Amino acid sequence: MLKFARNKLVDVSQKDMETLSVHGVLDDDIYSIDLDVLIRIADLEILSIDGRWHRWTTPECPRAIPFLQGAVGFRIGEEGFGQKVHKVVGRKACRHFANLLLECCHSATEAVRILEWEKSKEANPNLEFPEFRLEGTPEPAMPQTAAALPTPEPPRRRIQHVRKAKRGASIARTTIDLHVHTSPASPCSSAPVDSLIEEAKRIGLDGICLTDHNYVWDRDRVEELRQRHGFLILRGNEITTNQGDILVFGLEKNIQGIVDLKDLRREVDEAGGFMIVAHPFRGFLVVGVDQAGLTPEKAMARPLFRYVDAVEVLNGKVTESENDFASRVTEGLGLPATGGSDAHEVGEVGLYATEFYGTIESEEDLLNALKNGDFSPVVFQKAKQIGARPPSA
Amino acid sequence: MPPNVTRFSRNRCTAVEVIDENTLRSTCRLQDTLTDAKVEILVRLPDLEIAAATAEFLRTPEKACLRTAEAIGKMIGVRIGAGMLKIIKGLIGDATDCKQLAFMVEECCHGVILSMTKDQLNAAPPGADVPPEVYIEMVRKNIRLYNRCAAFAPGSSMVEGIEPPQNEGDR
Repeated sequence: MLKFARNKLVDVSQKDMETLSVHGVLDDDIYSIDLDVLIRIADLEILSIDGRWHRWTTPECPRAIPFLQGAVGFRIGEEGFGQKVHKVVGRKACRHFANLLLECCHSATEAVRILEWEKSKEANPNLEFPEFRLEGTPEPAMPQTAAALPTPEPPRRRIQHVRKAKRGASIARTTIDLHVHTSPASPCSSAPVDSLIEEAKRIGLDGICLTDHNYVWDRDRVEELRQRHGFLILRGNEITTNQGDILVFGLEKNIQGIVDLKDLRREVDEAGGFMIVAHPFRGFLVVGVDQAGLTPEKAMARPLFRYVDAVEVLNGKVTESENDFASRVTEGLGLPATGGSDAHEVGEVGLYATEFYGTIESEEDLLNALKNGDFSPVVFQKAKQIGARPPSA
Repeated sequence: MPPNVTRFSRNRCTAVEVIDENTLRSTCRLQDTLTDAKVEILVRLPDLEIAAATAEFLRTPEKACLRTAEAIGKMIGVRIGAGMLKIIKGLIGDATDCKQLAFMVEECCHGVILSMTKDQLNAAPPGADVPPEVYIEMVRKNIRLYNRCAAFAPGSSMVEGIEPPQNEGDR
């Protein structure tokens, strides 16, 4: 039985010699919207956008319409066009309008190709479109199929960790935010590293670990920051794998693109490093991680957990229930747990952190402590949570 | 060509079907002036893991889209979840220059998420207007919603009384 359907229709006509007129409709079981977009043929600049709602979900959805104008002036094909549309229309207006606008713009690009082909045909009347596009005869299109269940991997021998923290008055503690992002190392962050460090110092953290996306900080640069700020700054790396984001410590190799989790494990083992799965149960905007019937018991069976040394159970970018879910899974698996803010803005640092039972002064100390399991996740600055109720509430 | 005749037209349909209690099938079909294609994924519940994926380009001007078997195969084992777009674009982008393929896989995955959103909306009481307090509480429980679109931006009744994140002015 059909559970959901979305239809999108786009037509592109020529308003005049210089302008394309694009009409797009998105109609699904939840939303119904349409767009009229004018695009200049010469440089594919968006000249005007006119959007309308027909069905929506919240009483405030109509607020999106004026924000569609933010994309007027964008040029299709310019660097980062899709990202700009998602940022300006998707985030400020509505992501469904962004989706339809991109569909309209892609269709306009295709229409321009057809116009160019027609122009080329004036000089070469026998020129067919495939020849024009491919500069050769295309091979017949064959169905492409790839359907197989993943082969289960044998369980990896897990590093033995001390699960219980050795608390005691005589043991020093070091509280480190193990998961922060800085700008420009992480394009999604707006936090300059110096500001982030100063904020971490101000709120009383003992240190931070720079875990920018697929980015290896230079050791000397970090040492310079450390001396200049008089603050513990360590290096990590958040690497995107085919099974999600992994915080990696002790790996100098600069890994780009999406890496297979098994391959990453091999690299990290060779380097003597440590792997923590970040926000393993981060859900969607509206739909929670458990809506499809996922239970902690079922989640524990995910092969992912065989390849990591610890689990981030306190992450500042997920909901409390998702963090709680991660805690229950981690406890069931007997894996160590960490916390980190996942800060992308200065004010977000230190919401969560990891408390180490001992003194951490270097990356070697950090790796040893991680491997020994001498740590636990902590809520460091609860008041920093977005939407936290004011004290009087 | 007369001005009222279209130079290009496109029809893209994404449909999600229940195969059995543990499996969904999401299919994206594209038919436009230049391209005729179908991408299909089988999704296992409750993990939302892609268990099978196929792609078929019957008509396309892009040479790269004629050979997508290896690229679509990389989707097997990937879970539909937050951050999946980066994974889809990365895995497919490394394997083929067929951009339409990655987009159609994304559409299939979005369809699955939207089907679950629809389930959630269907669970609301019929006919009644949802009071703003319900939305406000929903945002409090799910910080990702805050400022994610115009409906949940500061100034909207749905985030009234919710403290903006610190350093909001620095954005």
